[in-house]
Formats: sequence, C-alpha cells, structure tokens
Amino acid sequence: MELKKQSRDAGNNRDGVPRVVVFFASASYDAATLSRQMNEAFPDACVVGCTTAGEIAGGRMLTGSVAAMFLEGDIVADAASAVVENIGSELSVGPALREMERHFQAPVSAWDLATHVGLVLVDGLSGAEERLMEKLGDATDVVFVGGSAGDDLQFRRTFVLDGGRCYSGAAVLVMLRLRRGFEILKTQSFRQAGKTLVATKVDEASRTVIEFNGRPALDAYAEALGVGPELAPPLFFQNPLGLMIDGEPFVRSPQRAQDGSIVFYCHIKEDTELELLRAADIVSDTRMAVEARKAAGEVRGLIDFQCILRTLQLRQEDRCDQYGAIFHGIPMLGFSTYGEAYLGHMNQTSTMLLFR
Amino acid sequence: MAGEIKRMIDSIIDQRAKGNVTVALATKTKLIFKGLNPDRFSGTSPDDPAILAKVRAAAAELGVQLQARSVSNYVH
Repeated sequence: MELKKQSRDAGNNRDGVPRVVVFFASASYDAATLSRQMNEAFPDACVVGCTTAGEIAGGRMLTGSVAAMFLEGDIVADAASAVVENIGSELSVGPALREMERHFQAPVSAWDLATHVGLVLVDGLSGAEERLMEKLGDATDVVFVGGSAGDDLQFRRTFVLDGGRCYSGAAVLVMLRLRRGFEILKTQSFRQAGKTLVATKVDEASRTVIEFNGRPALDAYAEALGVGPELAPPLFFQNPLGLMIDGEPFVRSPQRAQDGSIVFYCHIKEDTELELLRAADIVSDTRMAVEARKAAGEVRGLIDFQCILRTLQLRQEDRCDQYGAIFHGIPMLGFSTYGEAYLGHMNQTSTMLLFR
Repeated sequence: MAGEIKRMIDSIIDQRAKGNVTVALATKTKLIFKGLNPDRFSGTSPDDPAILAKVRAAAAELGVQLQARSVSNYVH
C-alpha cells in the first residue's frame, strides 16, 4: 500500500499525466503483486517493468528498491506494449508487432524511424535474447534497446511486467512514439589488445566456444593474454572479447572455463572473428560518452540498461556514487541487467535510451 | 565464379536501407550477428556454396528478395 501511495504521490506531483510508467524492482518484491499495484496506480498509462539485479534512479545506484520513471505527453505522444511469451521455444515476435500495429493504426513499415523507438525487457535467464533480438531486427528497422531482467544475483527466476501482469520466459516490448526524437548510447569501457581469435568450433546453443583458431578455446585465449591456461579464468572479467563492427566492440564476456572450452554470456557463431579486449575505466569512459551527448543538445530523460558485471565492479571499487554523478541534471532511470540489448545481445555494456 | 556473395550482401543492405545510412549500418550489424561480415567479402571472393546459402537464408529472414541471378548461381 505504501508503494502505491508513493507511486501516486510521484505522479500527482508532476505537471502532466504519465503516458508511460517504466519501473524496475528488486527481486525481493513479489513481482506479480507489484505489477498489479503499479497498474492500478496508473490505470491510464502503459505500465511496464521488470525485476533487476540493482536499480538506478536519479543518479543513485540502489538495491532492494522499486524505481520508476514517468514519461509524460511532452515526451511520448503515444505508446503501446505487448508481450512475447514462450521465448525459450516457439519464439515469434509477429503477434506482438501486429498488436502494436493495431494500436498505432499503421504497419510497422510505416513507423517513422526518427520518432519511434522500442524498449525490450526480457527474461534474463531465458538464454533466448539473441534469437529475440534477431527476430525483431528481421521484422523491423525500428531500433529496440533494453536489457535482460535480473533477480538480485540469485539466478533462479526473473520476471518482466506489463499491464498489471507478470511473466517469466517472456519479453515485454514497448513501442514509443516520441514528440522530438531519441538517441541510443552504447558504451563499454574496453580497448583492443591487438589480438584476434576466430571461433572455429562452437556449440551455439550452450553459448560455448570449443575452439579458437583451431585449438582448444582456453589454450588459445590464454596464449593471446600471454598467460598459462590455468591463470586465464580469473582474467575473464577484465579481458572479454569484442565482435568489432566499424571499430566498436559488441562485447562477448567469458563466463567460465569448461574442459578446455569457454562458456560465454552470449552466443558466438562459428567463424566469427573476435578481438581480445582490455578493461579501461568505466566511470571516465561513461562520463565522456554522456557528456558528448549532452553537449550535442538537451537530454530530457534517459534510461540506462547497465550490465551487472559493470555494477559489480563499481560496487567492488566503491565508485557507485561516481557513476551516478555522471547523470547529474538528467532525469534518469536504469537497472543492472543480465544482458544488454541493442541490435543484438551483448555483455559488459551500458545501452542507454536518451530522450531529446 | 567470384563476387556473388558481395553482390548479394550489398543488395540486402541496399534494399533494406533504401538510402538511409543509419539503417544501412544497422543492417550490416544485423548481418554480422547472423555470422556474415560484409567486410570479409570482396568482388573477388569465391562463390562458396555454403556461404551463398547462408546469405540467401539471411535475405529471406530480412524479407529481402534477391535477384534471379543470385539464386540461379547458387542453385547451379
């Protein structure tokens, strides 16, 4: 009840009525109850959210909380949400997109790419993010950005929330028609180490690379790092691999070594060429990226989908406040994710939606 | 025969982007996620049947029709 009151107060204290309410919640809350209560508190809004591995609001990195953003009519002209269920098996985004087409009374192909942007919140334990993003990318050129729901690092069950309901093994899609426009900021704090590894044998379904450069994956990775195979796993976090696209890495993070193979946090296709990366400073890199966007024009709001691995590093270094301060002066919301989405699925990255 | 893979990939990007540079880059990125890096193919790349099949599948997924010559070369 207290949550409902706070949500209503927050809504009533603002000038307008929210068109969209996005909320991110710790797994310590009952997701089904929370979703219902949020929907009841804002019956006229498109209300969506997910569980997290940490919340970010107003430049503060939080745990055990519920954080929400209210997008009003001056930013969002119209919005529609839809759920893609059973993403682990019969993944089809068609019905969800048709539902949105009915709402907007226009086919996907007619949506203005400059003012329409999609949010995607997906079950973070589904292992289906790559296929979901691929299907969305096949179906439309409208950009989708988002992240994988978390459960406070329990790795048991994550939930996505839409219209008062609660889903697991699903994704919530939200299409926003914006008044002014948007930008996507994808930032990861890594530099190329000058070493290339080609995934020559993979088990895509289990996100495992069996061989790099025709050799056991762990041996080849360790050699690229200049250490013995037994010393490589502790260096995974600081040295992920990058799928380089026009000089920008899409980070693929090693999770663990397994019988000479390496299990990653996302799929790697056979014959994919990857660059070894070296960690740089998250705070200064992200600050520079955000400042550059601020310098280019007013940022009226921002949603940050921040990898839990970045958050864990910031917590370890006691730099959460420094990270939060990057967003000073920008109304913002975010959460620590189990994976980030923008054109595809990636790791150790922040994908951000900036409202202009 | 050579160069067909590049021609087909270029056609996918052109048809999808319709002159929009941002969409062209996004389509290139989507192709790379599908395991087809446009930068790895040139006008002299051999027409590897396995890769041609992969490109054709990607085109179908992206809803792009490739011209008959591409299909014909692939089939024969």
